[in-house]
Amino acid sequence: MKFTHTIKAAALVGIAGTVALMSGCAMSQSGDLNGMKGGGHEYLLTVTRPNQLHVIDTETNKIVRSCDVPGTFGQGTVEPSPDGRIAYVGTNKWEDVVGFDITNCDIVFSAKQSYDNVTVKSFVSLAVSRDGKELYTVQNPTRKLNDRYEVMEPQLAVYDTSAGLNAKPIRTFPVDRQITKIMAMDTGEVILAGNDVQAINPENGDIRILTLLQNWKRGDSWTQPDAFAMHTLGEQADEFILPYFTIKWNGDPGDMEKAEFWWGMSRVDLKTGEVEQGEILPFEFIVFNFITDPTDSNILYGAFNTLSKHDIREKKTLAVHNMEHTYYDLNMTQNRTIYVGGTSSDISIHDPDTLEKIGSIKLPGDQSTSAMRIAFLK
Amino acid sequence: MNNNKSKYALLNASALALVGTMLTPGATWAMGGEAVVKEKCLACHTQTGNPDKPYSRISEQRKTPEGWQMTLQRMEHLNGLHLTSEEKQTLIKYLSDTQGLAPSETAKYRYALEQKPNIVEDVDPAYVEMCARCHSNARFGLQRRTEDEWKELVTTHMAVHPTLELHALSRDRRWYDIALNETAPKLAMDYAFNDAAWAKWEKAAKPVLNGSWSVSGFMPEKGDYSAVLTTAQTSKDNYSVTMVGHYADGSELSGTGSAKVFSGFEWRAGLTLDGVRVRQVLAASEDGSMMTGRMYQSAHDEVGGELKAVNGTGIVALTPSAIKQGQQTKITIKGGYLKGAVKLGKGVQVVKVLSRDADRVVVLAKASGSASVGMRDVSVGSTKAKAQLAVYDKVAAVQVSPMHGLARIGGNGGKLPKVKSTFRAIAFAAGPDGKPGTDDDLNLGYMPANWSLKPQNEVAAEDKDLEFAGTIDSKGIFTPGDTGLNPKRRMSANNVGMLTVVATVKEGGKAVEGEADLLVAVPSYIKRAIQ
Repeated sequence: MKFTHTIKAAALVGIAGTVALMSGCAMSQSGDLNGMKGGGHEYLLTVTRPNQLHVIDTETNKIVRSCDVPGTFGQGTVEPSPDGRIAYVGTNKWEDVVGFDITNCDIVFSAKQSYDNVTVKSFVSLAVSRDGKELYTVQNPTRKLNDRYEVMEPQLAVYDTSAGLNAKPIRTFPVDRQITKIMAMDTGEVILAGNDVQAINPENGDIRILTLLQNWKRGDSWTQPDAFAMHTLGEQADEFILPYFTIKWNGDPGDMEKAEFWWGMSRVDLKTGEVEQGEILPFEFIVFNFITDPTDSNILYGAFNTLSKHDIREKKTLAVHNMEHTYYDLNMTQNRTIYVGGTSSDISIHDPDTLEKIGSIKLPGDQSTSAMRIAFLK
Repeated sequence: MNNNKSKYALLNASALALVGTMLTPGATWAMGGEAVVKEKCLACHTQTGNPDKPYSRISEQRKTPEGWQMTLQRMEHLNGLHLTSEEKQTLIKYLSDTQGLAPSETAKYRYALEQKPNIVEDVDPAYVEMCARCHSNARFGLQRRTEDEWKELVTTHMAVHPTLELHALSRDRRWYDIALNETAPKLAMDYAFNDAAWAKWEKAAKPVLNGSWSVSGFMPEKGDYSAVLTTAQTSKDNYSVTMVGHYADGSELSGTGSAKVFSGFEWRAGLTLDGVRVRQVLAASEDGSMMTGRMYQSAHDEVGGELKAVNGTGIVALTPSAIKQGQQTKITIKGGYLKGAVKLGKGVQVVKVLSRDADRVVVLAKASGSASVGMRDVSVGSTKAKAQLAVYDKVAAVQVSPMHGLARIGGNGGKLPKVKSTFRAIAFAAGPDGKPGTDDDLNLGYMPANWSLKPQNEVAAEDKDLEFAGTIDSKGIFTPGDTGLNPKRRMSANNVGMLTVVATVKEGGKAVEGEADLLVAVPSYIKRAIQ
């Protein structure tokens, strides 16, 4: 089975795939990284259509390995384990989670969330505890009855990552609707990005507010923030980052002439759970995602039709680079190389200071909405 | 399997099936509608035991024939329903006859049934973001449900489109709570299942639409036409149809086909007109004296125009419908079997009758230089019509119709053809106050114009939309650009664009201009019976 997958992958990725084929033939052993570098070496993880996980070496910017993901392409969510060895992928139209050993494409974890007449969807929500022992999803179940549907309550599902290929939740706790991206913190809690930003204790289901968004009371002079939590980001700076858009009415509410348009963000330190929230930049163009410079928390980079660099203390845009096409997502290595991806079948590589394009990685399929995460392989 | 492709193919095939389903002539009705409901629908739905609403869910909804068609398609697509073509026809007919909408209930939203492009809706703020950010107002405005059923519809949305509560304009509010507890109850008030209009219409005697109809209409490329539509009932609510007439340029028009009537007034006909398949979506008036709606090409529903049919002899419209003081011009009086002397009103002389056909009379008319500005009644023999011809001094303003056009890129080897957009210029005289743009302006009807395009705004200019988005011809027909990435454009964008359409009418050496917005959009990949 593994062999078949690897051959298919090789056919798709051409020369890069040949490497994968050779690697795949070698029997891997526990602790053996199968030719890959450990010690925190950074590998970029992303998913392309029809449904493949790609492992990219950030030193060579080549695909090391492509793993066939079972099921129909979902949203392309990827969550690396803390040791960088396992990539958990959301698949099958938001329903299943599959964990791959990125050194050999072996599937080491699988959870099918739907059951009987209940369809369970998890929208982007996929997180792993900081010790790697537990995996979390937010489940949105609906039940199909004979002539109607039933909308069931969402819940946090906790899985044991060692549960193997037929994993079932070991604990569940009720949560709010509309939760998308989630992330685990050193406090043991899991951040839930929904109407507000909450933290849930996955041991007992206790929920506390980290910061308010929909329920943020700032009076009539501000519109409720609109946070687009579609891509999980932040491992490069050990943070959870959620941008939002808002309007400040300097005149009457709705008076666009006097209004100010702002980007804001909620940013959570994964070590402490501390939150920064507020406006960071005047809205001048659309940014789909922001990331923080791992060496300077005051500097953010944003991607969409442009790659941009911002000083958030000064609320200033430092540089803007027009992209060749629209990209949704971006990430950055510890040496500050910027990777811009999503939408199409290439990852664009950029210099962090000039933002000039310095390279490109051709992918065998479209990334669409897929995540682009960094695994620090130990 | 590529899921998106299969979905597209399925829905597109279903949409085509709709046309076929409703128009298959001479269908036999092996089973009654109620029997099909019992045999097919009760596999999942249940009998409630309540004679007022005997079948779970089904009995608490009323829809147009297209609405029921979409319901059946959804049952096939999502729930494994298998229907023969005959069963489907039987069900649509039965359900829209017994649980349809009254004429008055459809009046506001007929454009959706008619597949009329370029409609900008005025939507209740309560629905703008909750419903109309995905759907036309017509989509839900052409349904009637009990409150429980509107709530079930919300639930279905949550199950079938689970990401909808995360969309822009959903994720900033508690969408599900609002939909269930605020929107559904309001829908149940505004679009109530129990409505006096339907109760009355259900009991009313329905018109038989047999006979000869005097027809006036418009088709892009061809222009205004007149025709006699002859209908003969072949069985209850089924008709054979013949349409013979002329375009305004004198060329002939002829076609035959069949029609079916749903809910007692919803006329759906398919004809082959001059070798092209066309479809008529008309509403018969409650007394059966008139039918109005739209006729369009089956394969290109944007290529079509209004159609008005008056039962028997009648003057339906004039082309052109205005004459300038002192001008001599050819005027076509559109109407069936018009006999006798032509009178065009005070100050307008019929110089000569140029031709008489079953569907029209063409005359050479001359307005005196001193003829008063205003509307004239027109008569041919004993057939009269009020306010048909405008006498005017000069064109003071031009309005482009539609004000907001929509075209879609296509072709280029892709699966979807280009969707064109047709514009017409409507001219106005200033009226007694001498100022155009006021209530007393005199509508002079459609007039020939010179057509041109310009970028709609700074972004459109910067992106060179004028160069890429498409072209407009001398008849006001806009043809959009090819679909797909265009390496010549910034970021290899496709050929979408925002343009302004300009119609110029020459008036005494001066140019009078009118403008309309045109959005050149991406292809629409899913074709629905009601968008």
